Amino acid sequence: MKLLLGLAIGTAIGAVMQLGGASSYRKILGSLLLKDMTIIKLILMTIAVTTVGIYALDMVDMAHMDIKPTYVVGIVVAGLIFGVGFAISGYCPGTCVLASAEGKTDAMLTILGGLVGAALYALVYPFMAPLISLTNYGEITLASVFNVSNGLWIAIPFSAILLLLVFRVLKDRYE
Amino acid sequence: MNDSPVLSWKVAGLLLGLLVILATALVKPFGVSTQYVVTDAIVLHSAAPAAAESNKYLNKYGEKDDWSVGYGWMLVFGMFLGSGIAALATHRFRKRTNAALPSMWQEQFGEHKGKRLVQAFFGGVLLLFGARLAGGCTSGHMISGISQLTVGSFIFGVSIFASGILTARMLYKKKVSS
Repeated sequence: MKLLLGLAIGTAIGAVMQLGGASSYRKILGSLLLKDMTIIKLILMTIAVTTVGIYALDMVDMAHMDIKPTYVVGIVVAGLIFGVGFAISGYCPGTCVLASAEGKTDAMLTILGGLVGAALYALVYPFMAPLISLTNYGEITLASVFNVSNGLWIAIPFSAILLLLVFRVLKDRYE
Repeated sequence: MNDSPVLSWKVAGLLLGLLVILATALVKPFGVSTQYVVTDAIVLHSAAPAAAESNKYLNKYGEKDDWSVGYGWMLVFGMFLGSGIAALATHRFRKRTNAALPSMWQEQFGEHKGKRLVQAFFGGVLLLFGARLAGGCTSGHMISGISQLTVGSFIFGVSIFASGILTARMLYKKKVSS
């Protein structure tokens, strides 16, 4: 049952992302070159909706939250590595799956590379412990840091800022 | 060539947001990169069970002495199906003249299929190494993590865009058109 639920939600997510242009190399590289704002706006719009929804659910105890630990040094290093892969491949771990389904063979190679990258990480995992334990502040959120018991008080203004950004500030800038 | 998405970012963002909220209400927030580990774990476990079970990291993701696919894996498989169906329905399946070459890449670097495939492969290696070290990728950290106001996810988001923007600039020297 849970497997079918995953399949159903995944299918809907995949279709929406594909129709929104998330699997397009041109759109992704356009974002990283700061010329085409479509993908950045899509991501920020998604977060603006989700953050309010999740914290509204949380208020009535219906959100299955999953807060990842914040280990500053490890996450910064990880992000720098990820960013290089992002620009070189033009995909991320989810969008290469979407693009593969469209018959794009370079994206299939990115999936294959990803499987190798994850296996490499599994191999060196024991040596990564210092990066994960160093500057590890645990499962913290803006709500817990500012000691706000109802996260909506942060989610709503945060969402408003994102909406202002996507509707008023961010513009494509092709010459 | 008309490459513009079928759905605007407003509509796609709204729908995607609602789907992530639904997933969080029913099971958990949405994430992709863990499933690469699950796939590795399943493949290695069927080829060399002892090696898989002795690896501390893979052992965490083989579903509790099960080593099979779960909800999260089916979700990613669903994404593959959903994208394929959407592309077929809107006549965008295999739309590229060369399946391996994005037109934008070709305008910049020429018609070098091999070079593009090598880049795509090594890009994938870096993506998943980074994502596993961070504990999530664009979906788990950026979308789900920032939506939950997770501090580390904000840091990850800034870090990937800083590095991605810098790398993209070094790669793309020629002028880019829309």
